[in-house]
Amino acid sequence: MTFNTFFRNNSLKFRWLVSGPWVPALIMIVGFVLVTIVFFAINGRAPLNLFIEMVKGGFGDGYSFSETLVKTSPILLTALAIALPARLGLISVGAEGQLHLGALFGTGAVLLAFDQPGWLLMPLMLSGALLGGALWGAIPGLMKTRLGVNETISTLLLNYVGILLVSFVVHGPWKNPDSLGWPATVEFPDGAILPQFFDTRVHMGLVFGIVAAVILHILVTHSRWGLSLQVSRSNPRVGATAGISYEKNVLIVMAIGGLLAGLAGIAEASVIQNRLQDGLATGYGLTGFLVAWLAGQHFLRIIPLSILMGGLMASADSLQLYAQLPKASADILQALLFIIVLAVGGLWYRRSST
Amino acid sequence: MELITTEILALLFAALRSATPVLAVVLGEIMTQRSGIINLGVEGQMLVGAMTGFAVTATTGDPWLGVLAACSAGMLLSLVHAALVLGCQANQIASGVAVMILGGGLSAFYGTAYVGEKINSFGSFKGAVVAELPVIGEFLAALTPTVLITLVSIPVISVFLYRTIAGLHWRSVGESVGITRNLGHSPVPYQFAAIVFGGMMSGFAGAALAVDYTSNWVEYMTSGRGLVAVGLVIVARWNPWYALPAALLFGVSESLNLRLQSWGVDISPYLLATLPYLIPLIVLMLSFRGLKAGGGGMPKGLKAVFQGN
Amino acid sequence: MKKVINSLLASTLLAVSVSAAAETKVGYIYVGPKSDYGYNYAQDQGRLYLEENMDDVETLYFENIPENADVQRVMERMIRAGVEVVFPTSYGYLDHALKVAEKYPDVHFAHSGGLKTSDNLMTYFAEIDQAMYLAGIAAGMTTKTDKLGFVAAHPIPQVLRNINAFTRGARSVNPDVTTAVIWTSGWSDPSKESEAASALIDDGADVLTGHVDSPINYVQVAEERGVYSVGYHADASKFAPKGWLTGAIWNWGPMMVDIVKSTQDGTFKPQHLRGDLLTNAAQLSDFGDAVSDETIAEITNRQKMILNGDYQVWEGPIFDQDGAVLVAEGETMTLEETEKMDFLVEGVTGRLR
Repeated sequence: MTFNTFFRNNSLKFRWLVSGPWVPALIMIVGFVLVTIVFFAINGRAPLNLFIEMVKGGFGDGYSFSETLVKTSPILLTALAIALPARLGLISVGAEGQLHLGALFGTGAVLLAFDQPGWLLMPLMLSGALLGGALWGAIPGLMKTRLGVNETISTLLLNYVGILLVSFVVHGPWKNPDSLGWPATVEFPDGAILPQFFDTRVHMGLVFGIVAAVILHILVTHSRWGLSLQVSRSNPRVGATAGISYEKNVLIVMAIGGLLAGLAGIAEASVIQNRLQDGLATGYGLTGFLVAWLAGQHFLRIIPLSILMGGLMASADSLQLYAQLPKASADILQALLFIIVLAVGGLWYRRSST
Repeated sequence: MELITTEILALLFAALRSATPVLAVVLGEIMTQRSGIINLGVEGQMLVGAMTGFAVTATTGDPWLGVLAACSAGMLLSLVHAALVLGCQANQIASGVAVMILGGGLSAFYGTAYVGEKINSFGSFKGAVVAELPVIGEFLAALTPTVLITLVSIPVISVFLYRTIAGLHWRSVGESVGITRNLGHSPVPYQFAAIVFGGMMSGFAGAALAVDYTSNWVEYMTSGRGLVAVGLVIVARWNPWYALPAALLFGVSESLNLRLQSWGVDISPYLLATLPYLIPLIVLMLSFRGLKAGGGGMPKGLKAVFQGN
Repeated sequence: MKKVINSLLASTLLAVSVSAAAETKVGYIYVGPKSDYGYNYAQDQGRLYLEENMDDVETLYFENIPENADVQRVMERMIRAGVEVVFPTSYGYLDHALKVAEKYPDVHFAHSGGLKTSDNLMTYFAEIDQAMYLAGIAAGMTTKTDKLGFVAAHPIPQVLRNINAFTRGARSVNPDVTTAVIWTSGWSDPSKESEAASALIDDGADVLTGHVDSPINYVQVAEERGVYSVGYHADASKFAPKGWLTGAIWNWGPMMVDIVKSTQDGTFKPQHLRGDLLTNAAQLSDFGDAVSDETIAEITNRQKMILNGDYQVWEGPIFDQDGAVLVAEGETMTLEETEKMDFLVEGVTGRLR
């Protein structure tokens, strides 16, 4: 069989080379790098050098990479929290609030069980966090199924409520009396601090995230429940006749998504901050949304993309250090990346569908 | 008795001043959503408007120039959303979030140079005729031009939407793009205009916040007002007249917070601060039956957006 | 191959730069923008003074770093870039600085306003409440309504000391004066500060002051509404040409020079370094036009008394808000006690949050 015959007979299989996700992905990456370099140039900085510094800041040495991974954990978890409901067609932006509620409930558990030994304290803390996050996911879920409230709006608003609730406890009932009025809880006892790797701040949260991504991927693509999600999403009525309840699925995905974000929250409070305080998590919710979108809501793709995004966020200090570019540069670059992905993605797939 | 009425009036007018930026965004987003497009990027547009308005006022000394510049900035940013949604068929929610992050980043980035600047703000209506009115005179005197402009926009928008041919087409685009095409009109110009109008209003709102209400610029100073506004659009049933009470809900919750403190009430300011977000949520929950029965005023074209991709 | 060359180049350059300049690199971290005419501005002025007055010092700074664990990464990056003296200038950085200090025992840290030290971390601050006391006198003598307003961030001792000192100063010349406090619960929130200022004025206050990172907001509202203002952290009189009375401001430069010098000649001590009116670390800013000559005379007189020790701001009797005695007549609070202050004095209306 000649190559031509082979190719002709199997051209459908080879189409992925040209019309698969590789070409648009490549365009997006190149586009992003170009835009970043142009951004630096516009602001009068040596573009190539700065870009290299940025990459080094995220991945250049052991320390930088560890800091990148520190940022990756919450981004990964919040991205999963957004991607799962998206499989059902729900657009939840609530990871930030769920993260805070997880931190809140987890801290509550720690404060209640403060003197308990580690083997009891840790699971209690984690359960609290999962509960809190799940709650903050289930509430907008219920609002949608019972009261028709759009989940995008409700999760957005509840984000702010969640953040304020944390501020409430931290400035009020849970404020550490020894902190002389500074709003924060007492430091977490050692038994409540998630294990870290080597001498870095990288912690178990990362492992939880990766495991969760894999499990979710398997569940959603290979299990009956995963299939029911697809059916529910494309045609709820058909699904209902087959015994699949759209409402139940909404609650399930929102709650599971919520508890993943909640896990991110307690991890931040426990390992990184060692206490609950204001400013617990700066914008991980939105970044998670961005990553979930970049990954096309595909769980496994979220893992490497979270690492990249973590690198971008962690390298923001390099921008300030070497080029006196304000911290906000990282936000601009994130947004530009998102825009490029949306633009290229939209144009590419519109082209191929006509 | 008189003391109570004075306190209540003081609260209402304080609420109006603080609600004005939100109201402006709500009005802009009503117009946008009436054409079937949702733009979450208003938060970012508000921020670039605030920064630009402040910067231009600081440099030129003229707050009106600042407002104009702010409107332009908001419009420019909204072009990104327009390009993505109309040009690239991108998902509207995602695009809105991207615009939001971009607006926040750009405003924080370029705004660093202007922090701490002093600007010539508008000044209130202290010496004007309205200040002479009996009871409410002193409260009217505390109002500022942006409040007036925003309030005037309400009847203007209402007249446009409900009493002009263009407004009719605008609304029909929001109800059904298909029918609009069948009637021979292209929806795109209307949707484009809708997005840009929303951009202008949110830019204006940003200026109202930074140049008028606080005469200050700090990064991310809008604290989610833009997003609350999007929620309030639903509370207002996409009707510009209901936008005022909806925005006032927000304004009252905000002003109440600080005033309760000075009145000696002991509720945590953080719990009080959740009210501006919870109240729109509660109203949304309560309007369920209304929405289900009569459509609640939602432009049907938005259904597709809200139902997910 | 390229990698090898690159790293060789990099390390050569590094070696050359290290051996060439015996410069001390000093790093600053600010919680907000350095142009806020407030806290961060004052710290940055100190940095500029340091640069001007010491030839062998190179400074760098980070702005807008929030008070959470992210600051640890910023400090570490600074240190890895060669910084030897770190100034984490905001209160909430303390625990994070202590952590990083533990990891890098050869680097020196000087934290502003903290109350904990470690082997290589000291704190520095100034008794600006002395200046606030004097500013309070200006307020007490200028007010027509006998009501003062205070926009406050967090109920930590630094802030409480200022509220109390201001009130005591005012009441020392005008016993009928009261100070209303509104808490914004954040170091910087412009709309809240403006709203709080409006609320205080609506309730009758005609002199406003505050302790938030930037005085700009309440000073501007005061000017707009035609009332007086007293600044804090820095001289913001340009924002209130008519209503500005005076302000309590910092002068960090000389202290910072001393600290950096001590790290260079090995005399660094993990202490709580405190300056005051006497050492000029805290000062009263220039008087505005609205201050009468009589007031200036009174203040100058009282300032002399404080400077030569005839009067202490925290000497008894001190009463709490309900009139109970906190410090008896004849006694004086120690510095440690004032730095742990947790009460509001008589004359302050508004509860402790």
